Amino acid sequence: MSADALTDLDYTRYARWLRRLTGVDHDWAIVDAGGAAPFTSRPDSALPALVPALRDGGFTWPCAGDGMQRHDHVQGILLYLPIDTRAGRIGYVAVCAGATDAALHGWDALAETLEDIVAGIKDELAARAELDGMAQELAERYEELHMVYAIDQQVQQLDAGAGLFEKLLQSWAGHMHADVAAFVKPGENLCVHATNLSAPIHNLDLVLVEMRGDLYRFVHSSRAPIVINATHDARRAYIFTDLPFKLLCCPVMHDKVVVAILVLVNHLDKPDFSNSDRKLAELLANQLSSLSRMVGMLAETNKFNAQMAAALIEAVEAKDPYTRGHSERVHHIAMQIGAALRLGEKDTDDLFWGSLLHDVGKIGIPDAVLCKPGRLTRDEFTFIMVHPERSYEILRHIDRLQGAVPGARHHQEKYDGTGYPHGLKGNDIPFNARIIAVADTYDSITSSRAYRAGRSHEVAMAEIARCCGTQLDPGVVRAFEQVCAAEPEWIARFHIQRDPAPPLLDVPG
Amino acid sequence: MNKRTILIVDDEAHVIRVLRLMLERSGYAVISAADGNEALEKMAAQRPDVLVTDIQMDGMDGRELCRTVRARYPESPFLILVMTSRTGADERDWVRALANIEFLEKPLSPRQLVARLAANFYVASTPENPHVR
Repeated sequence: MSADALTDLDYTRYARWLRRLTGVDHDWAIVDAGGAAPFTSRPDSALPALVPALRDGGFTWPCAGDGMQRHDHVQGILLYLPIDTRAGRIGYVAVCAGATDAALHGWDALAETLEDIVAGIKDELAARAELDGMAQELAERYEELHMVYAIDQQVQQLDAGAGLFEKLLQSWAGHMHADVAAFVKPGENLCVHATNLSAPIHNLDLVLVEMRGDLYRFVHSSRAPIVINATHDARRAYIFTDLPFKLLCCPVMHDKVVVAILVLVNHLDKPDFSNSDRKLAELLANQLSSLSRMVGMLAETNKFNAQMAAALIEAVEAKDPYTRGHSERVHHIAMQIGAALRLGEKDTDDLFWGSLLHDVGKIGIPDAVLCKPGRLTRDEFTFIMVHPERSYEILRHIDRLQGAVPGARHHQEKYDGTGYPHGLKGNDIPFNARIIAVADTYDSITSSRAYRAGRSHEVAMAEIARCCGTQLDPGVVRAFEQVCAAEPEWIARFHIQRDPAPPLLDVPG
Repeated sequence: MNKRTILIVDDEAHVIRVLRLMLERSGYAVISAADGNEALEKMAAQRPDVLVTDIQMDGMDGRELCRTVRARYPESPFLILVMTSRTGADERDWVRALANIEFLEKPLSPRQLVARLAANFYVASTPENPHVR
């Protein structure tokens, strides 16, 4: 209970009460422990001056027994009753009774009424304390609710990209007013942290090492949240030895096994971690559990996708060793063109898989045709012409690749409509297919085949320029020329031949 | 000592109760009102240093209150904190024309409110802002 608890009460009804029950307009006051009078019954009350004078004279409000106390002083008689609460004696109800009081016979009624008044004040203070306690509790709940909403909103807007945990921890450190928030998952060698420092931490690395080591082992075996506030906490013998921080650590569980921990760290001069903080941290740890599971699953799925694609490509390349690396190169170049054309996220993803798997249909071409050196007969070429359609037939079974299939299916179409399999023309050819066509053309010219060695970059560029507008989309060709003008590193990486630049002509002045 | 006065306007008594407790503990004087009209009456008697108001209220709502306050007391553009659960930007367009209004998200964090007020008065007490007492 605060020291000035007595100042905020309304005493006027007690004054009315006293007047009615005793029939006398007493000069009385509420005097607090410090001797100040937060209430006097009359503006001309003698008490505000009397109380300090008595105190200076050595008066210490002695109380014998339970009832009304009497103190005789030079100017008259002081009657008083202490106001005791659980927090101790916080003040007195005091009445100035004058020197020779005519109302002496009324003192019994006065004493009883004062007792009732003190009881009333105590009830009021108790009720107020309870209400304050509840409001305090409610404030904590508000705090929790505020945070839960914030987290909920954040998790909904989350994209599972890089920096996911950093972003989360950063905002949690802010919400929780923690100097450091860390997510430690030793199984994946993961230790992500964010800081929101109220004061510098010079040995942050040491703190993180502690988290990965002793703290993680401790929580892993105790399987329960730990809160260490006090400097003399016995657990400091094992955890955070000599580190001047308060600590809140919650296990992150998967299927009843601790797989990671969430740690919040504060400087010693910050307030203790409360029960409410602990509950919130547990909630955050639960969020981390499902999120890290989701991220893990996503990573696994991505890996699986890439491996399946690699296996398919391997199958194609096993048939035609001369095209080894072709899919990978066309994919790489197509992605560069896509970036230069500023494709959206969805189109980029479709181009990614379409370019990688564009030749999968070659699986259906007989080896005798696919690997034949020299010119193909008309019949043999028919086999070649069905391969994009074959790619389509193979890939259409994969829902995830729905958007990627058109790029693979139509990469042999020509801009003027003379290509295959459907003879599409101009913008009827899917955009991704037009991109793959340019990349495919480039790689076909520059890479070695069963029947010839690869030709140079310059030859390929000249050939592409020649086919621009007839076989290839001029817009895409322009983008590709842009990409190549920047001398990209892959020209060397793919071992593409270069023609020496033509010597500059000496123009005689 | 002259305490800073905060006027809290909300039709939910428990919100006022909680904020009053937290703010009084932080050394502010608190007056409260249950809607815009009552807030204007209280303000006529005593101008607050900061107004904290809900949006949705019977009677005069928070928006109307803000407009009225800015129109009625153009010489004292004290900070107004509006408590709202709506975070959409379009819901906040109406304040464009009004000065010195900021938002607090509901469910409200009392700590955040206390911190926000402390920051406000810290800035206000630096000598570059002579118009604030």
